[in-house]
Amino acid sequence: MLPLRALVMPRETCRQLSSSEPGALTILFRYAIWLLLMPPVFAWLGAYQFGWRLGADEPLMLPASSLALISAGYFAALVFGFVSTALISQWMATTYGANRHLGRHFAFVTMVGAPLAFASLAHLFPHVFLNVVILIPAMMWSMYLLYSGIATVLETVPERGMLMASALVGWLLVAAVSLLGLSMWLWVAGIGPSLGV
Amino acid sequence: MAAVYEEGISTLKAVQAEIYRDKVVLRLVQFSIVWAIVAMGAGVYISAELLWPWLDFGQPWLSFGRLRPLHTNGVIFGFGVSALMATAFYSVQRTSHVSLFAPRLAWFCCYGWQLTVLLGGLSLLGGWTSSKEYAELEWPFDIAIAILWVSFGVVFFGTLVKRRIRPIYISNWFYGGLIIVIAMLHIVNNLALPVTLGKSYSLYAGAQDAVVQWWYGHNAVGFLLTGGFLGMVYYFLPKQAGRPIWSYRLSIVAFWAFVYTYIWAGPHHLHYSAIPEWVQSLGMVMSIILLAPSWATLINGIMTVSGAWQKLRTDPALKFIVLALAFYGLATFEGPMMAIRSVNVVSHFTDWTIGHVHSGALGWNAMITYGTFYFLIPRMAGRPLYSTPLANLHFWLALAGTMLYIMAMWAAGVSQGLLWLNLDETGELRFNFTDIMAGMAPYYGLRLLAGLIFLLGTCLMAWNLFMTIRGRDPVEVSAPDVDPLYEVKR
Repeated sequence: MLPLRALVMPRETCRQLSSSEPGALTILFRYAIWLLLMPPVFAWLGAYQFGWRLGADEPLMLPASSLALISAGYFAALVFGFVSTALISQWMATTYGANRHLGRHFAFVTMVGAPLAFASLAHLFPHVFLNVVILIPAMMWSMYLLYSGIATVLETVPERGMLMASALVGWLLVAAVSLLGLSMWLWVAGIGPSLGV
Repeated sequence: MAAVYEEGISTLKAVQAEIYRDKVVLRLVQFSIVWAIVAMGAGVYISAELLWPWLDFGQPWLSFGRLRPLHTNGVIFGFGVSALMATAFYSVQRTSHVSLFAPRLAWFCCYGWQLTVLLGGLSLLGGWTSSKEYAELEWPFDIAIAILWVSFGVVFFGTLVKRRIRPIYISNWFYGGLIIVIAMLHIVNNLALPVTLGKSYSLYAGAQDAVVQWWYGHNAVGFLLTGGFLGMVYYFLPKQAGRPIWSYRLSIVAFWAFVYTYIWAGPHHLHYSAIPEWVQSLGMVMSIILLAPSWATLINGIMTVSGAWQKLRTDPALKFIVLALAFYGLATFEGPMMAIRSVNVVSHFTDWTIGHVHSGALGWNAMITYGTFYFLIPRMAGRPLYSTPLANLHFWLALAGTMLYIMAMWAAGVSQGLLWLNLDETGELRFNFTDIMAGMAPYYGLRLLAGLIFLLGTCLMAWNLFMTIRGRDPVEVSAPDVDPLYEVKR
């Protein structure tokens, strides 16, 4: 099981990936899709049960249909983020002298995203600060996997791997902030909490 | 007497052999590092005050309202401008193949600027303020800044005028843009009627005052914190990478597009305010267009560094540059996105804005400056960096501090935006403002921790660079010969 192996024995997983050529769709539908489903499902369950705890005394409760719409959007954004990151990684591979096999890039992004997906268990209790405290170490673990694994999995020299990882971090930061901006835009458009705008 | 004699000999030698004048560069770098520690220390202190308000000890000069402008002015004008002056003086000599024009004026800029920032900072603590953000200093300091800035321009452009090589390298265009536009913004925005030594009133009233202020404020971000530091990138990145900029043509296109576009973007600070709606829309549209020239430079930087990967083995400075480019990409994307009115209505006035500013200030400005200092000081000292492991540790502390800071502020900002605007079934605001702010304490704790981590890294750098240069003057470097094909014939 790739995502779990990536968590407990990252080096061994990287070495195995470097000698395999998995199909991109196989990786997507066998492993990644389940990881991508976890955050929106946990978010829906947590928000329906406990409401969003944003720091005020009372939680923000939303109707189930609204939550379903938000979770569906969350899932779509994650799928788009996953596929686009893998494709961008493959596109960058030429510049950084890395392996261009698409399945390898899908597998690598799955491995890097695994800690964040498992940490999304925190969404079951959607208290924002609790989520921040749990997701920050998970993000650090993901970044460790990115920087330490990229050269092995994508078969490039460590220095070029470091540069490629930094370029991917740049893209992921932009993707993260885009998700925030998109959420704002949708909330203001009336999907989600009732805002006085 | 001996010092005067030595100065005389040094001047004579410099005139004869066009030896670059790097002592003033070194002094400015040292002042910049001192201001970084002082101003970031003030930032850490006020972030602690947001958690424990009693830290002002009932003293007005220790209150958040007075320390906050000290933090921002200290970082922008003390740390940032000192670094920009240092790197502008360093690079304009080397790209012009001549020593500095009017070196005494350069020293006047160096010490005059530090004195102005110091006294200006004390005046802010004393309660003198024009209340305009990033332009808080009162009129005596505004006049001093204008004189010093024009002097900076005379030294810089004077050096360009006497250059021995015909093309003007791209970094000089950015530094030149910085000098001209900041002079214009500073003088126009600070036009005021003085009533006492410590108090003046703006010549503009109401909404006009706001428009002029944010024309200044945003372009201070644009031409100083972006344009000036891009000048730094265009000179020091190819130097560190040991190869020319990836596309010189792209850099020229990016410069003109950047200069044309940025100047219009200020009104996005005034969305949903009393200024005309078309002005807000214009600011929003130009902010979005601005992404193109910003990312043109980003691509140029990434492609330049991507071919210099071997250098990462030996040069700790390059890592800072690589990371700075990643955060430059983030900040220049986040800014236009936050300028969209339907995003801004939630994000404005929240801590998300503070997070955005710091992704630029810590991730971009500070990182690129640190990378440049790690490049400059060993070369000036003529010996390797005192400790490469310490520089590597600094890199990870800087990355961790920046990431923790912006993530804490993202979470706090989005929560604030949603809670402030949330309506109940009757259409009334659901939550009390003070209750919401009280709930932000945990995020402010994370921000304090992030600031401490970043400041610790800066202190390590200061120690490392001090030990590298200790007891040494800058190595004397002469201007090389110019290819006759590009030589200026006089």
